[in-house]
Amino acid sequence: MSEEKPQVLVVEDEVNIRQFVRLALEAEGCAVIEAGRLADGLRRAGEGHVDLVVLDLGLPDGDGIEFIRSYRGWSEGAVLILSARVEERQKIDALDAGADDYLTKPFGVGELRARVRALLRRRSRQAGEASPVLGFGEIKVDLARRLVTRGGEEVHLTPIEFRLLTMMIAHPGQVLTQRKLLAEIWGPSYVESSHYLRVYVGHLRQKLEDDPAQPRHFLTETGIGYRFQPGP
Amino acid sequence: MHRLKSPVERLSPGQKMVLSALACVLVAIVAAPLREVLDLANMVMLFLLTVLVVAVSLGRNPAILASVLGVLLFDVFFVPPHFSLAVSNLQYLITFAVMLATALITGHLTATLKEQAAEAERRERRTHALYEIASKLAGALNEAQVREIVTPFVTAEFSGRCALWLAERDFSGDAAVEGFAPAIADLVMASGLRRVDHDAGHALYLPLKAPMRVRGVLLVQTPERLPEADLAFVEALASLVAIAVERLHYVEVAQRSEVDMATERLRSSILSALSHDLRTPLTVLIGLADSISLAAPELPAVAQDKLDELREQTRRLAGLVGNLLEMARLNAGSVTLRQEWQSLEEVVGSSLKLVGDALGRHRLRVELPRDLPLLRFDAVLIERVLCNLLENAAKYSPADGEIRISAQVAGDFVELSVSDQGPGFPEPLSGDLFDMFVRGNGESTTPGAGLGLAICRAIVDAHGGRLRVANHSTAGASVQVSLPRGEPPLIEPEGA
Repeated sequence: MSEEKPQVLVVEDEVNIRQFVRLALEAEGCAVIEAGRLADGLRRAGEGHVDLVVLDLGLPDGDGIEFIRSYRGWSEGAVLILSARVEERQKIDALDAGADDYLTKPFGVGELRARVRALLRRRSRQAGEASPVLGFGEIKVDLARRLVTRGGEEVHLTPIEFRLLTMMIAHPGQVLTQRKLLAEIWGPSYVESSHYLRVYVGHLRQKLEDDPAQPRHFLTETGIGYRFQPGP
Repeated sequence: MHRLKSPVERLSPGQKMVLSALACVLVAIVAAPLREVLDLANMVMLFLLTVLVVAVSLGRNPAILASVLGVLLFDVFFVPPHFSLAVSNLQYLITFAVMLATALITGHLTATLKEQAAEAERRERRTHALYEIASKLAGALNEAQVREIVTPFVTAEFSGRCALWLAERDFSGDAAVEGFAPAIADLVMASGLRRVDHDAGHALYLPLKAPMRVRGVLLVQTPERLPEADLAFVEALASLVAIAVERLHYVEVAQRSEVDMATERLRSSILSALSHDLRTPLTVLIGLADSISLAAPELPAVAQDKLDELREQTRRLAGLVGNLLEMARLNAGSVTLRQEWQSLEEVVGSSLKLVGDALGRHRLRVELPRDLPLLRFDAVLIERVLCNLLENAAKYSPADGEIRISAQVAGDFVELSVSDQGPGFPEPLSGDLFDMFVRGNGESTTPGAGLGLAICRAIVDAHGGRLRVANHSTAGASVQVSLPRGEPPLIEPEGA
């Protein structure tokens, strides 16, 4: 762990929510800056180094998506969205605009801390060297040799399956929207062809999960996309 | 629009004949004193002139009468011997024949010309009338105005009665329109062909054939049978009315959808405001309950228990509010399905993960065939269905009971069942279970508001599927969701 505390900016108009989010973040060892409005939040983000922004989508003076668009113009810092579960569309737009993850209200402190931890960990790891061999469960992926083994035995993956796997494990704990995955792996003309994704994620689960119906690593974010969860 | 007729035109055919005869006699009387002065050839001219005048003013038949009468009068009064049909010189017979032929031909040609002129004039007038009514109909703002424009027009043109029957308004048996036979109107509507009702005088039923469909029936009742030319005219009138009615129909549709859209916007903005206002305090409650243990990690066991209970109840409340809002959204019709080709296995997986802790110690058995086809549905909503069914199953099953999820292809549907080993639904099974706020066992101490199945039903119905409940012969309830299979899009094989 670095000697310096990670800086987290919380942009949320509800004082009470801000309060307990601050408590949770401080318990994670973060230094917290608060903002109640979008404009205020952008100003605070610009003032100093920020590692993570926890952002409410419904702010009184504007849409949180505007914040992300503007923020992404000059910062690579992680963005975690807080949103009510009404509109999936809104979350997708926010994720496509560059947010890294989301939490649906109401959420527990445990969930919040887990997400924050994952996002901060990824930031610090990105700074270091990417390892050519990755592992989760009993799966080992050797990116350089394009080799996937399960409990020591080689698993055959088609090129597309392998591309999907590498893209997902490159973003551990992060939500990847359908759109992003389709555009990246199949090309921009496939962004509406979500059935490809269903079928290929299904293949990956068949080959790499113990129980494809109850996956532990290749998780579905229903209506939004997928999340790769490394874990044991 | 209605042209005044000249006095001559208003005469009956009989009167015209009498007038024609009088004209001939008058000419004979006037010319008689001159018979010593004028040559017979000029007398013939006088009679021919009479025939011409009669043909112009009175028409064809009076002209024929004048021709014959002229020849007779000429013979009796002017050809010697006078006052007798006898002829002194046989040459006069040729005169008579030529005179008759000339008179008949002249009369005929003149009458024909006149008729053609009259016909052209009539046509011109009709065209003008149609043009006028078309521009009036184009300005009509509602169906009442269409009636107000058409009815006086038909009365004036055909001195008949007219009634308008519009499919969308009057087909609930508007027999109040006098003289309208609904049976015939129905027939005309269905066939799109005009019909004459012989029982009710000259009643002509015309379909209002618009580009999209037959919009109604126009009834024209006339004192006399309509001639062929007029038939074409009323048909033209009917199609003008039809187009006007169809235009009004679409104007109305457009207005209605505009109002609907505005209502929809209002509804969903109220719902999302409500959703925000309800969720915010819940988020705060859950967050604060969680934070207490953060702030004071070493709580006495009793306090910790209370805290856990508080957290549990708040989560339950959040679930309930979620269900209520979902139901409100479904009922308000403000839910548009985001249907995509989805994998059932995937949604089962994500539902199991969402329900998570609520499944507790129940044993879970998932039996999904590997080769299930992709189905087209809104994953978020179907996930909600599965979560509700799983929560129900967990709620009613004994602690160590088994919850089973299975699926199979059945014809054009894929059936997904969630079964438990609880007490089952109360017999006899009834559709009430799907109603809002109805619970299987009203006295049950198991918490819940009876919204779950109602929401499931609404969602499954919206997908064109079926939701069925059943009790197992041994123990437990089973809920079956059938979703239509459709035709999944092809997946291009890899590396082709």
